[in-house]
Amino acid sequence: MSDATYKLEKTNRTLMERLFEPPAIGKMSPVANVVAYSILVFWSAFVLFPLYWVVITAFKDSKVVNEGPYYLPFVDFQPTLDGWRAQFATDQFCDPYAIGRQVLLLAYNSVAFVLSPLVNLQPMEPQICKVYLAFTNSIVISVVSTTLCIVIGSMAAYALARIQYKPKFGNIFMFVLLTLLAIVATTYAGVHWFAAATVGLALFFLLARAFGKHFRARLGNGDILFWIISQRILPPVVVVIPVYMMFQAVGMIDTHFALILVYAVANLPIVVWLMHDFFANLPIELEESAQLDGATRLGIFWDIVLPLTRPGLAAVTLLTLILNWNEYIFAVFLSTSKAQTMPIMVAAKNAGERGILWWEMCAVIVVMIIPVIIMAILLQRFIAKGVLLGAVKG
Amino acid sequence: MTNANNTTDQPGLFPAGLSYRETWGEWFDRHSGTFFIAPAVTLILIFAIFPTFYSIVFALSRVKFSADGLKFRFVWFQNFQKQFLTNEQIHFLGRLEGMNAIGWIFSLAVIAAVVWWLYRSVRSGASWIGMTGRLISAAMAIGLALLLGATLLYGNQWGTLMTTLFYVVVGCSIQFVIGTGLAFLCSQPIAGKSFFRVIFFIPLMITPLGVGYAFKMILDITKGPFQPFWEFIGLRDWAWSTDAWAARWFIVVGDSWQWIPFIFIVMLAALENVSKDQVEAAQVDGASSVQIFRDIIWPQIVPVAATVILIRMIEAFKIVDLPNIMTSGGPGIATESMSLHSFFLWRANDYGSSAAVAYLLLIVTVILCSSFFNYVVLKQLRKAHA
Amino acid sequence: MSSPKSGVPVSFDKVKKSFGPVRVLEELNLQVQPGEFLVLLGASGSGKTTALRILSGLETATEGRVRIGDRDVTDILPKYRDISMVFQSYALYPHKTVGENIGFPLKVRKVNPAERDVAVREAAAQVQLDQLLHRYPRELSGGQRQRVALARAIIRRPSVFLMDEPLSNLDAKLRGHMRAELKHLQQSLGITTIYVTHDQIEAMTLAHRVAILEKGVLQQLDTPARIYNDPANLFVAQFIGSPPMNIVKGSLEAAHFMAQDAKIVSPVKGKVANAVLGVRPEDCSITSPAKGALKGTVYTTELIGDHTLVTLKIGSDFLTVKAAKDYTARPGELVGVTFSKDQLYVFDAGDGKRLR
Repeated sequence: MSDATYKLEKTNRTLMERLFEPPAIGKMSPVANVVAYSILVFWSAFVLFPLYWVVITAFKDSKVVNEGPYYLPFVDFQPTLDGWRAQFATDQFCDPYAIGRQVLLLAYNSVAFVLSPLVNLQPMEPQICKVYLAFTNSIVISVVSTTLCIVIGSMAAYALARIQYKPKFGNIFMFVLLTLLAIVATTYAGVHWFAAATVGLALFFLLARAFGKHFRARLGNGDILFWIISQRILPPVVVVIPVYMMFQAVGMIDTHFALILVYAVANLPIVVWLMHDFFANLPIELEESAQLDGATRLGIFWDIVLPLTRPGLAAVTLLTLILNWNEYIFAVFLSTSKAQTMPIMVAAKNAGERGILWWEMCAVIVVMIIPVIIMAILLQRFIAKGVLLGAVKG
Repeated sequence: MTNANNTTDQPGLFPAGLSYRETWGEWFDRHSGTFFIAPAVTLILIFAIFPTFYSIVFALSRVKFSADGLKFRFVWFQNFQKQFLTNEQIHFLGRLEGMNAIGWIFSLAVIAAVVWWLYRSVRSGASWIGMTGRLISAAMAIGLALLLGATLLYGNQWGTLMTTLFYVVVGCSIQFVIGTGLAFLCSQPIAGKSFFRVIFFIPLMITPLGVGYAFKMILDITKGPFQPFWEFIGLRDWAWSTDAWAARWFIVVGDSWQWIPFIFIVMLAALENVSKDQVEAAQVDGASSVQIFRDIIWPQIVPVAATVILIRMIEAFKIVDLPNIMTSGGPGIATESMSLHSFFLWRANDYGSSAAVAYLLLIVTVILCSSFFNYVVLKQLRKAHA
Repeated sequence: MSSPKSGVPVSFDKVKKSFGPVRVLEELNLQVQPGEFLVLLGASGSGKTTALRILSGLETATEGRVRIGDRDVTDILPKYRDISMVFQSYALYPHKTVGENIGFPLKVRKVNPAERDVAVREAAAQVQLDQLLHRYPRELSGGQRQRVALARAIIRRPSVFLMDEPLSNLDAKLRGHMRAELKHLQQSLGITTIYVTHDQIEAMTLAHRVAILEKGVLQQLDTPARIYNDPANLFVAQFIGSPPMNIVKGSLEAAHFMAQDAKIVSPVKGKVANAVLGVRPEDCSITSPAKGALKGTVYTTELIGDHTLVTLKIGSDFLTVKAAKDYTARPGELVGVTFSKDQLYVFDAGDGKRLR
């Protein structure tokens, strides 16, 4: 389009025409150009200024912040590393070897977790620098949770795109009824939750076997997909208290595991929705051909389908990763110290009688946003395409 | 849930002449339909559906702490009743003292429009399910109109319900208009547009918490970067955080800063998918950019626009971080969203009311979002595919 | 794995298929001989692809049985049917090399890599791909991709080959070449092959026998020559032949076919009020108006190369005649057309059946 330089018929144009008419097809008139650039530059400033302010505040000290606005480092004010140093000063464990210790601890605890069925290795208490702890927690939780979510979500999305499901409406109704009964039994009658859950599940399977064949009404794949996607509507405040109690019942408050599971479920709707479209748009002959050749469903998914949706997978992974990295509400409820993530560290700078320690908080925010901005810049085109596909066809 | 290969359970599957022994892998493959979807469904059942049901118990109970955990006492709909009729009414709905003429005119106009809409859908022969849905949407619309008449138009303070709707309606509209406008500019032949594209995308990646604190800091009257500006226009001693409307608008500004990029990237991708042939044909015919946008591009991107607004709406109903950080819901309850309302109640250990408010938020969200989905998004999608 | 099998018979026994209320196949009965090259020919929506997919197991028949060899495979999963299929789009895996694509059927059957490698080379050599094993499908030409699909199908030496319009994505010149190669390959392997196409040239050149389907009903099953020379009904007569057979509407009265203002000696006798006379363009010749059985004006003449197609307008109908390449005529000129009695076909206009 940019090569098209067909001249307009008229060659002698008045000044107004010169200003307001495009010089060629696929170009913009001078006035339109000026207006467009002004808007774009203004908006860039609007977008970048808060970030700029956060970054320079991270290099101010309490005096500079409290005296009033200073805009330019080295010109207006002398940048300091107070905000950064403070992260370590208040914490006796934040010495130069803290990163190394953190990595070793993490490695040890992972090994301990893996070997826990065989050997009784107690996980080590993270007696280390809080900032590093939060940072590694954030990385571990968001990466593991994203992986889990992508694996589970894309398998479900693929199944919904290719396999016909016909769950019976009666069975679902029965399941809901029994769940409610179990909840009522635990809360009002004081039945132990484990007993209620076991009896409820057993009853469900028995009843489904006994009466299942009498139910006629069935749901289809579209209904299941809609059901999964619609979970995104659920506000976290609706579920967070019961989720807190569930984890409390099994003693998993303030563990990575709890946050990993909850984050994975919170993002499942997005993953299933977007991946479903990528899968549905693949040419089905590839899978049919593999099926004739004798490949199993899992083999087809792993060997043929996933490699073909790699761009979409990358976009959805990035999106999930960012959402997990930034999540705050669940983290507030479900972590107290050991599993604290970066957003909690940010919020923690608000506590105390000295008001908000802006320079410290901004340092933490800077640490938090650098990784995501790098990823975002690298992958923003993918995200747009991924989101669009889901949006249009969903 | 059965496998699509409905041949699997029939006799004669592995006839003589074909040596075959079912291995673990074969058994897994035969049930792959179940295994593929079971993890996702199980996780959602445990961590979304079960807690949602559990919340009902909270919402219908008075919850007390005791030595061996929580004690529930069933109180029927008391927690809900409180929000609508008794001591919590001001907090949730706003101060209700009656209605003035403007309020009545507005409410009656909305009621008339809703009734006319219902009448038309009865005439066009909607199914009974469709009709039930329409009745619910209509009741919601009338209720909200009356509430708006009794609070805002009467000059009375409003509650967290209207505040949430303010964030959703005003926030989404602003974000959509600006986001689409920027996307249109970036789809034009402009040098350096990939640079702008990356810049405009960034805010979406920032943690909402960070956005909240950054805006709180920037909008500070005495220490923020705009201090000379406030002083110049004589607002030196003004504190926007004590002015209900200023506080609401500033929260919308922060929210928009974060979410315009989302609208922007999706609409930009939609604009780049618009058929080039039609645009070029119009250019050859001498149409201006504005004409091309209105007559050729817009009709093609409406379905995407409707969907992206829906997605944005769903997320906007959950708004909690920004008001919590920027104003803590203040002044008074002027900027408190329903999520924040529920959060504060939880912090005050009133679990029952907290769950009730959360449930009310869920109900409002579901009704409004599914109304929008059914009457706007589906219509546009059908038009596009017809 | 690589020992050649002699062909096996395939049969469709009263196979019916419907998608909801739409009936796609109506009671298909079809016996394919061992080692035969059978072409299923029909327009789109005729049910030919559905028949193939039922045989492959990708669709299940609503009613009826399908047999491969002496086995009833109706309820057997595709992978146990011992078939391989070439798709119209080739269904090559874009992220795998040519070698990996060809070896895929053996890989999923857990053949060890060394054995697999030998088989891949052998199959690739059979379709002249041995130099390209490390390329990716996107780096190949259309014809080469087609060969990869073929190699992937033959590597397992299945009992039956299924091909779903495998040549329709190639350009005309390449298609002719690949047709010849395909025919040679099938003859040398001797594997029963069922081939779906909408292209009558492919059907006529490749097939031992052609099955013509229309609206889910088998119209005729016969050798290409007999299909051409002895069509069973009006549909087959018009479907086969290019340009298609000319049609004149009229009635059959005793030994004569009565058209608007012509009386033509008929090859069959009888009395049918609504009949159709068919004659192929190459069986017509142009004479003077006085001698012709039919008279018409010249509408267009088109020089094709070795002959000229002359379109005549007779009343409101058109009639095409294949004339010598040096034939010339002015548009609007009045000419006559003749043909001999034994080159005419008469059909019942009601059910389309051939009158004999």
